[in-house]
Amino acid sequence: MFYIFCPYCKEHREEEEFHARGQAHLMRPADPDNTTDEEWGDYLFFRNNPRGIHHEMWVHSVGCRKFFNITRNTVTYEILETYPMGEQPTITADIPSVRHEQGVQAADGGWQTVGARPESKALNEETSS
Amino acid sequence: MSNLSVSNVREFNTQPEGNPLVESPLAWSYRHHPAPRGNGQHAGVVLREKALLGHLVLRGGAIALDEAVRQTLGISLPSKPNALAFDDNGERSIQWISPDEWLVIVPGGEEFALESALRKALGDAHASIVNASGGQTVLTLSGDNAREVLMKSTSYDVHPSAFPVGKGVTTVFAKATVILRRPSETHWELVVRRSFADYCYRWLLDASAEYGIDTQ
Amino acid sequence: MQRYSGFGLVKHAFGHHENWERQWRNPVPKKRYDVIIVGGGGHGLATAYYLAKEFGVKNVAVVEKGWLGGGNTARNTTIVRSNYLWDEAGRLYNHSLDLWKGLSQDLNYNVMFSQRGVLNLGHTLQDMRDIQRRVHANRLNGIDSEVVTPQQIKEIEPALDISSRARYPIMGASWQKSAGVARHDAVAWGFARGADALGVDLLQNTEVTGFKIRDGKVLGVHTNRGDIEAHTVGCVAAGNSGVLANMAGIKLPLESHPLQALVSEPLKPILNTVTMSNHVHGYISQSDKGDLVIGAGIDGYLGYGQRGSYPTIEHTLQAIVEMFPMFSRVRMNRQWGGIVDTCPDACPILSKTAIKGLYFNCGWGTGGFKATPGSGHVFAASLAKGEMHPIAAPFSIDRFHTGALIDEHGAAGVAH
Repeated sequence: MFYIFCPYCKEHREEEEFHARGQAHLMRPADPDNTTDEEWGDYLFFRNNPRGIHHEMWVHSVGCRKFFNITRNTVTYEILETYPMGEQPTITADIPSVRHEQGVQAADGGWQTVGARPESKALNEETSS
Repeated sequence: MSNLSVSNVREFNTQPEGNPLVESPLAWSYRHHPAPRGNGQHAGVVLREKALLGHLVLRGGAIALDEAVRQTLGISLPSKPNALAFDDNGERSIQWISPDEWLVIVPGGEEFALESALRKALGDAHASIVNASGGQTVLTLSGDNAREVLMKSTSYDVHPSAFPVGKGVTTVFAKATVILRRPSETHWELVVRRSFADYCYRWLLDASAEYGIDTQ
Repeated sequence: MQRYSGFGLVKHAFGHHENWERQWRNPVPKKRYDVIIVGGGGHGLATAYYLAKEFGVKNVAVVEKGWLGGGNTARNTTIVRSNYLWDEAGRLYNHSLDLWKGLSQDLNYNVMFSQRGVLNLGHTLQDMRDIQRRVHANRLNGIDSEVVTPQQIKEIEPALDISSRARYPIMGASWQKSAGVARHDAVAWGFARGADALGVDLLQNTEVTGFKIRDGKVLGVHTNRGDIEAHTVGCVAAGNSGVLANMAGIKLPLESHPLQALVSEPLKPILNTVTMSNHVHGYISQSDKGDLVIGAGIDGYLGYGQRGSYPTIEHTLQAIVEMFPMFSRVRMNRQWGGIVDTCPDACPILSKTAIKGLYFNCGWGTGGFKATPGSGHVFAASLAKGEMHPIAAPFSIDRFHTGALIDEHGAAGVAH
């Protein structure tokens, strides 16, 4: 059960007044005529699905009926911030303090580990095998 | 360009000439679900309808709307979220609904003249005015147990410390959507959509039954 | 493996049932396997079982971070049916239904598969048109499915309110007689016992923490119990598939949502069948213990917490009371949530990936249980041969770029 701060109504409201609307900050391909099938597929169907910090769009459907964004932990369900449309999050998975607390969340090169402590060399660096 | 936008607006008076019969959205409910008569008992809840008022939904920028509303209604536009303002005799109100939307409620019959006056005052400003008078009605709750009935019906905090006089919110009320507002220390107002009116009314009768309800 | 039989039961009674063999070993991980299955739920265990039994691949490890069948296998509402609209999905689920029919004998383990039938109710004209279309499609695919009238529904399930006074009166239903329910834990345990007996290592409390990938080929997995090598890795991790994909640096079109279910206090037998309604949005059956088993849709937000929100539960029970007003005073005993990996077209992904040797079986969303044996069977065939099985091939991850989606939102309905 969430108690969500609506950045437009400027107060906390019960979850029942809101609807989740999926990943935030999606951009429609800027040049539709020159967009490949690959890019269209990515835009339409592929979403971030992190176990940890996530930025998502919600709508205050019974209330001011405005869309806004939430930064939330998908494991603990803790809401870290809410912010209006058009703004960027101040808390992301890449911030060192969050990275330390939550572990590495985005893999690169196939070697990193979700949830791993960043200082763990064994998990985050290539070992000879 | 700007003249074009003005000339595109079609206004019409939703109240025809000659006083035809009009009914509140609750007329059907009154006929089919008469409230239990207060047989000498003390009624903890007093429920009244303020039927057939004029409701206008204003949308647009706060600065332009504020000037127009002050000119025509003599009330300044509440700029804070969830704020509700009245004119001096308490008959006309304007309420913050969302950052670019306000609800004006005036005595029935005034709304068309007000709409025209507002359009004139707004001139070329980018704004919209919708007459929603037929779409909703106002219920008032008062009495010693009015707040208890609200506590049963909505998850919104209606304690005086969280809900002072002059506040109004759109929230969930018994699964329906209502605008809940507090015009005075003793009274609560519910702005109810026409399609939810019968349901909300019957919910209120049921929820108030244990305290005794006076509807007339 | 100790075979189970009536005779064995009597024999063990003399020993006060103290001498039963453990159902499976608890082995130490080897350095190298032919195939690693990541995820020890129903689908993963079924994959391992069929790999060893039908495809001769016995050097297999199932790597499970918790305990066997402790995720969605333990949390689902056990509905088994195959009345899906499209040919591809119909083939997949019907293949599974065929395997269900002989599963208890095959595994020598009673999975309590009960073909009590499934009703999918229609409450609007459009519902009825969709039901007609789906039933026709089913019959063309050899799936037993028929349209039934409210009177026939009343005969099948007398507890349903078919009166015209209902808020959403029932206009008809589709009826799959061969569908039903099974005992969820027994399915996982039966496959685990069968796989173990064939030499599969079931590694519990072993969490995959990364993949060993070189030159676009998978070489093994890192785990909290050391590295394990294998050139074929199949990920069957339901809600956690996205996490695994992240580790491997690939993206899947999945979103992991909470899905809640609940059971009531035990009642005397009252429900004959499984009743689902897309429109009022809920489904219900009665377990052999007597509990009403109830579920509905997912919570709208991403969540790995295995719990959801109260308004969703309330909505679910409203739907049940709408269909069965007589249950309005039934008390609920337990409520829980799982993590379901939902796919944009409500169909699973059974696919190779850009990394050679790394396969994914995921995206079953809210309805994977019914497919447990079929999914395991075709996925095992694919892993063994290095080529996707013909039934699995249309469920490739490529479909989200080619556009060859298999849209089963209608048949998936409430939640499956």
